Amino acid sequence: MEYYHSPDSIKDALSMAREFDGNFIYFAGGTDVQIYRKQKLEKNEHIIDLKSIQDLNSISMKDEVLSLGAMTPLDDIIKSKEIQNYFPLLMEAAKSVATPVIRKTATIGGNLLVRNRCTFYNQSQEWRNGVGSCLRDVGDICQVTGGNNDCYSRNVSDTAAALIALNAEITLINSNEMTQKPLKDIYLPCGIKFHDLDNKNILTQIHVPFRPKKWWYKKLRVRKTLDFTSLTIAATVDNDDMARICLNGVSMAPILIEESLDTLTIESLIKQARKNCKTVDNDLMPLKYRREMINVFLEEWWEYEHHK
Amino acid sequence: MEKVTLTVNGFTQSVLVESHETILDTLRNRLNLTGTKKCCDEGTCGSCTILMDGKPVLGCLTPTLRCVGKEILTIEGISSGESLHLVQKHLVKSLGLQCGFCTPGVVMTAIPFLEENPHASRNEIKESLSGNLCRCTGYKKIIDAVENAAEEMRS
Amino acid sequence: MTGAIGKPTPYIDAVQKVTGQAMYADDYKFPNMVYVSCLRSTESHAKIKSLELKKAEASPGVIAIVTGKDIPVPFGVLSISRDETAMAIEKVRYQGEIVAAVAAETIEAAEAGVKLINVEYEPLTEFFTPQDSLKTCTPDEQIHAHTKDHKNIHKTAELRFNEPEKELETAKHKQTGEFKFAGVTHGFTEPHSAVAMWNGDETLTIISATQVPHYLQKNLSKVLGLPLHKIQVKKPVLGGGFGGKSDPFPHEMIVSFLSKKIKRPVKCTFSREEVFITHHGRHPTEINMSLSCDAGGKITALDADIIIDGGAYGSFGVVTSYYNGVLLQGPYEINKFGFRTRRTYTNKHQCGAMRGHGAVNPRYAVETLLDMMAHNMKMDPCDLREKNFLSEHSSTVGEFRITSNGIRDCIAAVRKKSDWDSRYGKLPYGHGLGVACGFFISGSALPILWNRYPQTVVHAKLDFDGRIVMFSGASEIGQGSDTLLVQIAAEELGIPMDFVQVEVADTKTTPVDLGSYSSRVTFMVGNAAKTAASNIRNEMVKAISKEKDTTAESLIFRNGRIFTKDKSLDITWEEGVEMAMAGRGAFVESGFYISPKLGGNFKGAGAGLSPSYSFGAFISEVEVNPKTGETNVIKVWGAHDCGKALNPLAVEGQIEGSIHMGLGQTMSEEMRYKNGQQLNANFFDYRIPSSLDTPDMDVTIIESNDPEGPYGAKEAGEGPIHPVLPSIGNAVFDAVGVRMMELPITPDKVLKKIKENV
Ligand SMILES: Cc1cc2nc3c(=O)[nH]c(=O)nc-3n(C[C@H](O)[C@H](O)[C@H](O)COP(=O)(O)OP(=O)(O)OC[C@H]3O[C@@H](n4cnc5c(N)ncnc54)[C@H](O)[C@@H]3O)c2cc1C
Ligand code: SF4
Ligand code: FES
Ligand code: FES
Repeated sequence: MEYYHSPDSIKDALSMAREFDGNFIYFAGGTDVQIYRKQKLEKNEHIIDLKSIQDLNSISMKDEVLSLGAMTPLDDIIKSKEIQNYFPLLMEAAKSVATPVIRKTATIGGNLLVRNRCTFYNQSQEWRNGVGSCLRDVGDICQVTGGNNDCYSRNVSDTAAALIALNAEITLINSNEMTQKPLKDIYLPCGIKFHDLDNKNILTQIHVPFRPKKWWYKKLRVRKTLDFTSLTIAATVDNDDMARICLNGVSMAPILIEESLDTLTIESLIKQARKNCKTVDNDLMPLKYRREMINVFLEEWWEYEHHK
Repeated sequence: MEKVTLTVNGFTQSVLVESHETILDTLRNRLNLTGTKKCCDEGTCGSCTILMDGKPVLGCLTPTLRCVGKEILTIEGISSGESLHLVQKHLVKSLGLQCGFCTPGVVMTAIPFLEENPHASRNEIKESLSGNLCRCTGYKKIIDAVENAAEEMRS
Repeated sequence: MTGAIGKPTPYIDAVQKVTGQAMYADDYKFPNMVYVSCLRSTESHAKIKSLELKKAEASPGVIAIVTGKDIPVPFGVLSISRDETAMAIEKVRYQGEIVAAVAAETIEAAEAGVKLINVEYEPLTEFFTPQDSLKTCTPDEQIHAHTKDHKNIHKTAELRFNEPEKELETAKHKQTGEFKFAGVTHGFTEPHSAVAMWNGDETLTIISATQVPHYLQKNLSKVLGLPLHKIQVKKPVLGGGFGGKSDPFPHEMIVSFLSKKIKRPVKCTFSREEVFITHHGRHPTEINMSLSCDAGGKITALDADIIIDGGAYGSFGVVTSYYNGVLLQGPYEINKFGFRTRRTYTNKHQCGAMRGHGAVNPRYAVETLLDMMAHNMKMDPCDLREKNFLSEHSSTVGEFRITSNGIRDCIAAVRKKSDWDSRYGKLPYGHGLGVACGFFISGSALPILWNRYPQTVVHAKLDFDGRIVMFSGASEIGQGSDTLLVQIAAEELGIPMDFVQVEVADTKTTPVDLGSYSSRVTFMVGNAAKTAASNIRNEMVKAISKEKDTTAESLIFRNGRIFTKDKSLDITWEEGVEMAMAGRGAFVESGFYISPKLGGNFKGAGAGLSPSYSFGAFISEVEVNPKTGETNVIKVWGAHDCGKALNPLAVEGQIEGSIHMGLGQTMSEEMRYKNGQQLNANFFDYRIPSSLDTPDMDVTIIESNDPEGPYGAKEAGEGPIHPVLPSIGNAVFDAVGVRMMELPITPDKVLKKIKENV
């Protein structure tokens, strides 16, 4: 059986979460999670739709800090004058997600928590029965590596790359507390449990304190729309020449490299990136090429950064 | 099964639906509104686009229960009587459709887009339709049609 | 032409489609209807050891379950390869093959039933590549028992004229290439769907998304053991086909069998994943081709060795095998010519006919070799092609009769419009232009199933209300054939289009037409419709001239009136109708089309024979990022000789659609498999270009006025796809100096080549 709930306050949502502990799923836009449900990869019985909760979809600027409600549709972010003017990186990233109509439903919070992907996992149940399923589902080996411990499914959030490069923080609420922490800290290098949110936590706000001096963004994909990323890189440089380069789509979690331009070299940047990205053959773009593109993209950013 | 009240194309009625059901299936299978098409059932083609409170959403990703209390508008509710909406008129005129299977989705995407962006450029129109898969036309005549509709709407 | 012909004409069904009123197969619902869900094989090649249905049968809502043994009669679109059954019997040959079908009160109940069926398989050796299939195996390992020499080769097609191999051995100017093409699929938007009904009078009606009602009728008759006259196949509005709905399909057999068995309407609609599994798309292909020229650039010989990977069943494969070779005979004159195609069975989804059937991949190969030749001989690629075009009213080495031929006008048009002469070879690195040509049949001169009948018959009916109804078996699939019937009748009878209506694609009420494939409809149905309508006119002329005492020749039918030049007689259409019907009432006139006897007297001479051929020349402009290999097609100029554009809007639409589909195969589409399982059976990963990926298009229609086509028309539905792919490949060479011998041209391949090149 399945049940649909539409609480209109965070408090109600949390109390439902307590009631259905272990057997519910939050719905934001639902554009990601619906497909998991259709494919029987997500089987919890209770849907708690966060859509009717007030005040979770505002965009505001106060004291130079941008605050975004987690339920803000990506389309609103793209169209916000403030974001266009002060955080064009975020706008670019949001614009590179899915398709125009989906972006009207898809939320920024949902995008930050979009589920990790893998060619051998994101398939119908009948399909998975064909290969005999995998670790992350009900099987016992990884279809990519043959191993039986680690899942290497990819974090594909485009806005996570941008917001981590922008040093964003997030606010989480669960039944007894409200916590604020750096966005990057929630991601875990594990394809199965890819973030450390307690399942009852609700992501409410995203705060972007920082306006970089320079920014850069690029997403590798076959088509100019719709495709999930095969490699996303977002980079910022602040007034003190501190560079923050975030790579996503090539590992279980976004990879952040943070270093002053004074010391950073392109060689060391590439080395760090390649070392930290656990890229395996679980995307249809060939593995070798995706790895190669990490170098090429980083070099391109480097050139851009050093081009006067 | 749950009994819900839905307002579709201005008419409010009660229907029994499964709680996991999408509005696409409710429209097609329970309300006999088959103008909204199911092509991929997973968000990748745009043929199931409908309007919810004036905003385009994909029917195949939208739970029916989320539509309760909202105004749902489908392709059947677009043209009033004999007169086609300008977007429809120009799709017909410029042959912005061949097999027609993607067409309801195209109409339901283009109308709110033009309402929001009456001065859209050709490129913006092209981008706005980038989630609508059409296998027949190569998109050119669809974009022509929407561009012509925009022009006529402005004048 | 004074009427509707030649004018840009919106489709007669466009308003229905644009308002959501058009009824596609899945939109039909009938009282007491049941739904079918299919159990599909999880194995690629395996014996079915056991099939346990008990639990499923007991599942709530389940009404009937059928398996392969219930419907054992084999079928197939070609009578020479009826190698498929409605469901697997004893063994499965590909992952996804239907093993059992459950009919239930609701689709959910049917799906639940499917989950309760238990199958045990015993794996057999799997064959995933044609190379595996070319090897000898044990009888047990053979995918089909009927293949020869214990190999999984389905068909070898070979023709040879004037020893090309000898010429190639000694030729001074010679180019050879090994090409590889991934399989691609039609990607029509409407999933397969069929509803069958067993009627009170012991007849069967099936409404199915099919391009070939006639072949479906024939195959249903065989499989169900039901006489042909008891089967009605109706084609509803169809959401695209491109060849993907031109075979009779298992689910059509299943719903028909079930409705006969349980006496209720039965529906089956596929999910998108099932559509990918059903496939029947373009064969993965490997081509080894050589081409030689004399010092002046005149082609002297061409030889090709081709392997196509057919998947588990035959489908159109025998035809595909021939088309891969014979359609290399144009648009250039090649007198020493040969090819061999081998089609293998493998344990994958079956391949069949797809837009440009059989000829698209070899076209890429030959146009690439020509480009290499031009480069090598320091000739302009357009000039080289122009030296070699077949002339009008000529014949190819394999005795194809060429009638009208507008290829010179085509290449001149795109050359000029793209500013080729001042830009080709001169664009900055990373930017390039490429040219290619093509030609295609305008209907196959021989029917698939040999018989003494014409290929199509059209009836035109006139009744007291003044309305003309055109009855035709032709299958509108989005290409505009219904509109064409109306235009032709309106033209012939000088009446507005709204006096004409159609009754189409219903094997009970419409005269037989073979279907919408091999670009035959405009030419054949067009001719038949023209005759039918002009026969109505002749009957009217007879009656009117008798009554009004005028000469038959002096009557003019125009703008809804019938008059003589001097207007001594000037009556309305309705008055004319009344005179024509006096004393006899409503009447029907008929028109038919039968191809003239064509072709040579050798085995294989019939393949690719057509009463006329379309021609085209395309130029593409690309931008390549040499660091990432990403390639962007910026613009495509296409000129296509369709004979005469009966509806210029429709012709443009076909050309633009072809550019889009050709672009997809060139750049991003590919059926990806791992161990026989498709990795991308969805629109996330099977990447059809979006509006943003589709280039600017500049379309030129060339009218060569074919002597035998209706009003001079030939075809435009498939021909325009051929030049698209190689024009892009050749533009990549102009941009970055690398030859793309494998499709799709993904960035990784381009980058690899660029790196090898330095
Ligand atoms: C055709 C198509 C293309 C797509 N392309 C892309 C793409 O290019 N890039 C990309 O990143 N994604 C893509 N997606 C996936 C998805 O649309 C986006 O990631 C989207 O931003 C998800 O947002 P949502 O609001 O719909 O999330 P949902 O689906 O509602 O939620 C996603 C996950 O986050 C959790 N969640 C959401 N909000 C909260 C919250 N406030 N608190 C706690 N948990 C929460 C949900 O429980 C769920 O697990 C695509 C999807 C489709 C159908
Ligand atoms: S990486 Fe391995 S374990 Fe993880 S989803 Fe893919 S196949 Fe499964
Ligand atoms: S059917 Fe909804 S997007 Fe394809
Ligand atoms: S008109 Fe056929 S898919 Fe668009």
